[in-house]
Amino acid sequence: MNILEYFELVFTDYTLRTITLGTAVLGAICGMLGSFAVLRKQSLLGDAISHAALPGIAVAFLITGAKDTNILLLGALVSGLIGTFWIRGIIKKTHLKTDTALGLILSLFFGFGMLLLTFIQKQPNANQAGLDKYLFGQAATLVESDVILMVLVTAAALFVLLLFWKEFKILLFDADYTKTLGFNTKFIDSLITFFIVLAIVLGLQTVGVVLMSAMLLAPAAAARQWTNRLGTMIFIAAIFGAFSGVFGTAISASQNNLSTGPVIVLVAAVFVVISFVFSPRRGLLFRHLRFRQNRRDLKLQKTLQFMYEIVKTHDSISHPHAIRILNNFQGFTKKSLQEMEEKQWIILSGQEWSMTQEGFKTAENLYNQPFPND
Amino acid sequence: MTSPQIEIQLIAAVVAIACAIPGVFLVLRKMALISDAISHSILPGIVLGFFITHDLNSPLLIVLAAITGVITVILVEAIQRTGLVKEDTAIGLVFPALFSIGVILIAKNANDVHLDVDAVLLGELAFAPFDRLLMGGVDMGPKSLWIMGSILLIIIALLLLFYKELKVSTFDIGLSSALGISPMIMHYGLMSVSSVTVVGAFDAVGAILVVALMIAPAATAYLLTSDLKKMLLLSVFFAIFSAIAGYWMANILDASISGSMTTMLGIVFLLVYLFAPQKGLIAVLYRQQQQRTEVSLLTFLLHLNNHSETEERHINHLQEHINWQKVRSKTVLNLALKNNMIEIDENIVSLTEKGKEFTDLALEYIITNKDEKIEPMKDDFFLFRG
Repeated sequence: MNILEYFELVFTDYTLRTITLGTAVLGAICGMLGSFAVLRKQSLLGDAISHAALPGIAVAFLITGAKDTNILLLGALVSGLIGTFWIRGIIKKTHLKTDTALGLILSLFFGFGMLLLTFIQKQPNANQAGLDKYLFGQAATLVESDVILMVLVTAAALFVLLLFWKEFKILLFDADYTKTLGFNTKFIDSLITFFIVLAIVLGLQTVGVVLMSAMLLAPAAAARQWTNRLGTMIFIAAIFGAFSGVFGTAISASQNNLSTGPVIVLVAAVFVVISFVFSPRRGLLFRHLRFRQNRRDLKLQKTLQFMYEIVKTHDSISHPHAIRILNNFQGFTKKSLQEMEEKQWIILSGQEWSMTQEGFKTAENLYNQPFPND
Repeated sequence: MTSPQIEIQLIAAVVAIACAIPGVFLVLRKMALISDAISHSILPGIVLGFFITHDLNSPLLIVLAAITGVITVILVEAIQRTGLVKEDTAIGLVFPALFSIGVILIAKNANDVHLDVDAVLLGELAFAPFDRLLMGGVDMGPKSLWIMGSILLIIIALLLLFYKELKVSTFDIGLSSALGISPMIMHYGLMSVSSVTVVGAFDAVGAILVVALMIAPAATAYLLTSDLKKMLLLSVFFAIFSAIAGYWMANILDASISGSMTTMLGIVFLLVYLFAPQKGLIAVLYRQQQQRTEVSLLTFLLHLNNHSETEERHINHLQEHINWQKVRSKTVLNLALKNNMIEIDENIVSLTEKGKEFTDLALEYIITNKDEKIEPMKDDFFLFRG
């Protein structure tokens, strides 16, 4: 199957449609909530939570003995939340730093989860196979009810987001101010963290424990480059996330032996790279171009300033001077002189130059200009 | 114990020690998560190295994978330098991407590669004794023991050689540059050592559990001491303990050895986190409670000092006017009495000489606002703490 066939099939084939829809919705909700994680400098919290969710899946299975996705995900949610609050406890109550706390919880919970999973595998219970799909996720196991659950959670998240929009926004950018205004910051904070954990848990089945953090981060980090507005950023992140989901599914479906999770992550990574390079305001390419432009302008202005010092000593501004006398000054080239002529700062004739009225004025005011507004 | 059992425990202990030593410095330098990033992103390096060498234990593969680890660090730092995203986001972007490339490489070449992702992530210590090093037909012991043993020896040698430099550059970058010890070299040296350790250990304990072996012993030790030497020794001790105890737990439960080693580390950390004498949760909560009571006591004494009228100094006033609850007022009052700061005469509270002296000093402390003065002052005056 190639990509074109995939897009023909996606509307008719039940399995493909479900998976595509699932990954798209997942990408959207991750992008949406990931924006908060990125802006709150909690990017790696997602990584820790997704790993911390693993023992929850195993414990839920051990208790119920059933492989019902919803129950397993509930277990994951509980254990993810425990992990999150323990991380907070470590950071607040001891002198261990954030990175250590995250790494600790991530690896300790995951190790405990692995212990339980291997323990379950040795149990005489035919039902246990397939728990390890949560490690890397298997989009192929998505069924309609999973997608409906995702849509419901997304709707709930969107509703809460709109309801508490002002609170979330203000907490994000100025936590102290929020407190002085009398908002219950603990509640708002817990609410947003809860939804981030929820999004991560939902993604476990599709992209798995290991790669879930990228799902959360990449669309948001890409979207951040295109705008400085929170609302726009969340919207763009959701779109990037959804497209990563769809394209990732398409590519992995059109090739043999490609699991969906890693492909989605790589597609999202491509979005990030493109955004880093080509975003008009912050992107590396345009930033570099602007940098070079500024340097050229500066060079021209320096030449003009040098000429101005010469011209000042003469009665007539347009008195012609030999280009040769600029030789003491290293910053000019033939090309830069031509550019200055284009700007109508000077007039070149043969081996001589003379300053125009405009050039004189510009040079005079070179150092007392108001800063241009960005 | 059979000989494979001893060998497994030996390998586990060696791996754990080799991880714990660089881990101490990672934790102290607030770079614990770099170990997470490295452990994931070496996957493409391992796969590519495997294509070339066809041997998971080849030194060339270890070098190739370790280079990938260092490249990760450089990549993360390059992204940070652009200023487009924050540091942690840079880490979170780089390693899943590299890891995905590794997973896809494995999946696309599943037929030629005897390497599956589960093994890379989780490792399998139980099989380690079966891959033996033969030299001239003589059995020299398990290969992984030799590899990890040499890595451990290199780490210990480097630690002894550069202990002073590591210490200075970890705690005071400015001083270390001034003394002519390049923090850059120490940084990348540490990163290279960590990469090599992670690569060497991944095949025994897996990529994610390496992170636990690196961070957990160091973090646990850090809760118990602030002395670098003691911290190193303690974390080595925790590493060995969890390796041996973890092995036996795995034996009983018939589960993954690396998983149960990590679980042991988790249990040790939890115990220390709760019960560490100075920095543990219970100690911290107790101290906070104590300080709260002592602040209340101070407030109360200042109040007494300010008021000579009897109705302000009545014993019920605490509850009615300062709005303290009954238990709290009683605690504060008893503490003041026990410390001979006040005397109670017909339900009227008044300051004693000692109480007055203390209040004056406390006022001075509040005005000058020097934090370090309050503790010695409490030591001078308090017979009993809050």
